[in-house]
Amino acid sequence: MDSWVRFSGQSQAKDRLFRTAQYACTLLGYTLAKGGAGTELLSKVKQLEGHLSLGRKLLRLGNSADALEAAKRAVHLSDGVLRLCITVAHLNRAMYFACDNILWAGRTGLLPKLDQDKWSQRSFRYYLFALILSLTRDAYEISLLMERESRAGGGAGKISGGSLSSPFQENGELPPNASTAERTGLLRPLSAHLHRRLLLLVAVLRANPPLTLDLLKNLLDIFIPLDRLGLYRTGPGFVGACGLSSSILGLLTMVYPWLKLKP
Amino acid sequence: MDSYMKLVNQSQGRDRVFRATQYACAFLRHLLRNNAARRELLKNLRNVEASMSSGRKLFRLGNTVNSISAAKQTMHLSDPILQMCLTSIHLIRAVYFICDNILWAQSVGVLHSIDKERWSRTASRCYLVSLVLSLVQDMYAISQITSWAGQKMEHQRKPLPPKGKAGEAVCCPLSRNVLPSHLHEGLKSNIPIILDVLKNICDLFIPLDRLGIYKINPGMLGLCGVLSSFMGIFTLLQPKLKMKP
Repeated sequence: MDSWVRFSGQSQAKDRLFRTAQYACTLLGYTLAKGGAGTELLSKVKQLEGHLSLGRKLLRLGNSADALEAAKRAVHLSDGVLRLCITVAHLNRAMYFACDNILWAGRTGLLPKLDQDKWSQRSFRYYLFALILSLTRDAYEISLLMERESRAGGGAGKISGGSLSSPFQENGELPPNASTAERTGLLRPLSAHLHRRLLLLVAVLRANPPLTLDLLKNLLDIFIPLDRLGLYRTGPGFVGACGLSSSILGLLTMVYPWLKLKP
Repeated sequence: MDSYMKLVNQSQGRDRVFRATQYACAFLRHLLRNNAARRELLKNLRNVEASMSSGRKLFRLGNTVNSISAAKQTMHLSDPILQMCLTSIHLIRAVYFICDNILWAQSVGVLHSIDKERWSRTASRCYLVSLVLSLVQDMYAISQITSWAGQKMEHQRKPLPPKGKAGEAVCCPLSRNVLPSHLHEGLKSNIPIILDVLKNICDLFIPLDRLGIYKINPGMLGLCGVLSSFMGIFTLLQPKLKMKP
C-alpha cells in the first residue's frame, strides 16, 4: 500500500499508468474487432480509450516547461555527443507537448477551427525526432561500452587469437592469386568477428539493464509515430501491443528508479 | 520555475491547479452570464470547466487506497480525539473516492445502469461529513493551543522571587519581556491551523449547495473553490504551512 501511495504521488507515474490502460484499450479493441465482438462493446472500449487519451492530454498541460528545464540541464553535460542528443531530444519533446496542448484545446472546444489532423501530424513528427535522437544516444552509449569492454578483454584476445594466420596482405586486400577455397575461407574469420561483436553486444546489454530497457522502450515506441505518419504502417493491433509493452517498461522505471537511464 | 516544477510533479499539486482552474471558470461564467457579446467565451469556459472536472475524476482513480493507507497511519496517534477525527476523515474520504470512481465509470460509459443522482448525493454527503470532522479537528487544535497559551500566561502571573543581597531582582527566565515572544510563538504556530480552517470553511459551501442545504449563487461557489484551491497550492509550495496532527 505504501508503494502505491509513493508511486501515485508522482504525476508522471499516473500518466504512465493511464498510457498503459490506453494502449491496452487499443489492443483490446483490435482483438475484439478481429474476434467479431458486438459494436456496443467496441464503442465502449473506443470511448474509454478516447477518455484516457484526453485525460492524459490534460495531465500533460505544462509538460513543455518540464522538457525545456531538462534541456537546460542537459546543455551542461561533459560528453559532446550525449549533450547534443539529449538536449535536442528534450527540445523536440517540448515542441511535441506544445502541439499536444494545442490538440487538447482543439478537442475541448477552445479552438473549434483547429485543423486537428495537421497538428496531430506535427506532434507525431516531433515525437519521432525525439525517439530517433534517443535511439542515437542509446547506440552511442552501447558503442562506448563495447569499446571499453573489448579494450579490457583485448589483451587476453591477442594471446589466444594471435596464432591465427591471416590470409590478407598487409594492405588488407586478398592476394591476386587467391583461390575460391581461400575466398570462402575468408568468410569464416568475418563471421567469427561478427559473432564476437554480437556476443560483446549481448554482454554489454546484460550488464546495463537501464540502457537495455531504454533501448527496448524506444524501439517499441518508434512504431507508433511511424504508423501514424504513414511511414511504416503496422496496424492498430501492433501499435497497441508496442504501446502497451513500452508503457509497462516505463512503469518499471518508475517503480524501480535504478532502472531509469541517467542522465 | 523550480517551485512550479516541484508543484506539478506531485499528483496532488496538479490536481489543485486544475481545481483552481475549474472553479475560476465557474466564477468567470457567473460574472459574464448576462454579457451576450461574450457567448463564445462563456462556451469555452464551460468546456474548460467540464474538461477539468472529468480529468480530475480520472486522476482520482486509486485515491481510495491512499485514504485507507492514511487512515492506517492515523490509527496510531497518541491523542484519542485526533486519532478518532483523522481516522474517520480518511475512511469517509475513501468512501467519497469510491463514489467518485463510480461516477467516472458512468461518465465514460463503462457503467450504464447506475443512478447517477444517488451516487452524486452520496459523494457530496461523504465530502460534507469529512469537512465537518476536519473543522472539529481544527477547533480541537485551537482549544489545545489556547489552553497552552493560558497556562503560560498563568505561569507569568506568579510573584517574582525575592530580591538578592545587592537589592537587585534575581534573574528570572519568565520575566515580562519574554511574554510577547510566547504570544508570538503561539501566533506563528496558529497559521497552519488558521489556513486549514479557512480552507475547510470555503470548501464547506460546495457540498452544502450540492445537497440543497444552503444554496449560494454559482459565482460565490466558484470563488470559494478558487480560494480553497489557492490555499491548498500554498500549503504544497510551503510545506511548513501544512497542518500536521
